Amino acid sequence: MSRPPPPAAPPGPPFARRSLSSALGYSTSSASAAVRALRMLVLLLPLLAAAVAIGLLVGGQPLSLRAALAGVEPDATILRALRVPRVILAAEVGAALSLSGVALQALLRNPLADPFIFGLSGGAALGSALLAVVAPAAAVGVASLLGLVPQQAAACAGAFAAALLVFTLGRSRGQLLPERALLLGVVFNSFASAVVIAVQALVRPERTQQMLLWLSGTLGYETRSVLVSAGLAVMLPLALLTALAGRLNLLALGDDEASSLGVDVGQTRALAFLAASIAVGASVALTGLVGFVGLVVPHAVRFVVGPDHRVLLPASALGGAIFLVLADAAARALFRAIGAEPPVGAVTALIGAPLFILLLRRRA
Amino acid sequence: MSDRGKSDSARLAALRGLRVVAPEAGPALVALREVAYRHPGAAASSPEAVKSVTLSIAAGEVVALCGPNAAGKSTLARLACGLLQAEAGAVELGGAAIDSLSRRERARRVAFLGQQSATELPFTGREVALMGRAPHLGLWALEAPGDRARADAALAELDVLHLADRPVSQMSGGERQRIFLARAFAQDASLTVLDEPTLALDLAHQVLLVNAVRSRARQGQGALLVLHDLTLAAAACDRIVLMSSGRILAEGTPAEVLLPKILEAAYGTVVDVVHDPATGLPLIAPRVDR
Repeated sequence: MSRPPPPAAPPGPPFARRSLSSALGYSTSSASAAVRALRMLVLLLPLLAAAVAIGLLVGGQPLSLRAALAGVEPDATILRALRVPRVILAAEVGAALSLSGVALQALLRNPLADPFIFGLSGGAALGSALLAVVAPAAAVGVASLLGLVPQQAAACAGAFAAALLVFTLGRSRGQLLPERALLLGVVFNSFASAVVIAVQALVRPERTQQMLLWLSGTLGYETRSVLVSAGLAVMLPLALLTALAGRLNLLALGDDEASSLGVDVGQTRALAFLAASIAVGASVALTGLVGFVGLVVPHAVRFVVGPDHRVLLPASALGGAIFLVLADAAARALFRAIGAEPPVGAVTALIGAPLFILLLRRRA
Repeated sequence: MSDRGKSDSARLAALRGLRVVAPEAGPALVALREVAYRHPGAAASSPEAVKSVTLSIAAGEVVALCGPNAAGKSTLARLACGLLQAEAGAVELGGAAIDSLSRRERARRVAFLGQQSATELPFTGREVALMGRAPHLGLWALEAPGDRARADAALAELDVLHLADRPVSQMSGGERQRIFLARAFAQDASLTVLDEPTLALDLAHQVLLVNAVRSRARQGQGALLVLHDLTLAAAACDRIVLMSSGRILAEGTPAEVLLPKILEAAYGTVVDVVHDPATGLPLIAPRVDR
């Protein structure tokens, strides 16, 4: 009691934020979240346009954009039937995976969470594959006629089940242990992949090769209706999570603290898991297991805009679209000479796995 | 809001018990009546974590909740905030049954900080402090300049304004704890419940926290502090509630509760209680084999 408390810091001039954010003018102390979110969109939309242009131009066949737009064949057909759907799919899946990464990171209070690492992707793959094998073709056909997308729905259900499993088993005495949850997710992913391969090999051995490609994450060429439903599967979680953004911020303080600030923690968590599961399920049903997008993109975006989910969520959706469009273009461009094309999941894993290790080391 | 303007002697005087207790007005900030709670999953035959506890805190009062490990202190603190639902008994905040209040209304009446508040996400000190304003804001928590001023004032009160723009994930334990405390202060609830708030704090910052809590009490706010350090509790609080095995063993002013017999009964170890010749406050000295 002999020592008086140190004097409080004087309310001084604006503080220098020690990160890239200040250089770009995203200091939290200068603008409201809405203004920062808008600024971010203005910055990222031109980048997305550039990425899309690259994605349209790169491929097995050289393409002149001007000729294609003028209707010269075969350029016009390549653009319309191959490149455009492919780029749209990449953008949708990238946005969806990135969004679900942000949601899981908020729920785990840990930037290392990712739908692939966390087991959601494995669950989605399991759901999707089991449906393809187990459900009678007639039932699936009827459902499709009714406008449902059974494979996507099954994948979403699988992702949600995996989330529940990992989140329940990852808790100890009411506290979620992130390391334990991540470990469970990794184990569950391996298990799900094994089951998917085993089931496929037993039921349709001729499709095993295709199945392996799907499991490593491959972008294909989808029809317009599939692209529209995938677009909905991105917009719905984006809207839901963005509406929850203020509450996701408060969850970072801890369950009790968030609750004492007026957040319905159980409801918020359930909705965020649902949104993440829809996004992951739709992605996995279409492209298989594209890993690490949900890890790499939110990390890079957070580095620029900070962790505030009101800005981070929309920015990560755009960032994810940019990232996967470019990763897909890279997969097509780099191996053009030998006429082969690695699955885009291999490209994202080549970038994501070393980054994950780097992050883990920096944290230790 | 803060007593920064005062001289050190005035601060010490405040700490030593020359207190200006705000006049009691209106209902208790929190009133628990014969509250009981059993942890979920515990067998019906196992003892309850909290057994028929009655406790109330008036405006301007600082109360310490002390007792051995597993006495039910944290459970009682959470019951008082509505974070746990009492199995029996009633909890009121400012005269209103806690169940009748919306979550946001509850959050404007009681602020809570637990022991395991931590995040790996790189929110800055100011961003965390601003989160305390959420119960006063809309769905997206868009803050006004007044909220920023409140958050900065709370950061200054806990001597962490200079850390406002640093990510909490990069701070030391003590710095982070003071940021989280600033969040609870920025909430401006009539009652603040802090579960072992001094755990990561050095001596000077413990005194800083106590002064801040007392300064708020002079303006009519109340505080419930779960504390292990009985000497600090005696210096900081108007009243000590000593719990043991889910019940209140003793309750009263520090001089009434901190008696060797009572403490031995609660903790099962022999302690000496001496008194500060200057202030008359009890000082607790454990007896150690050496």
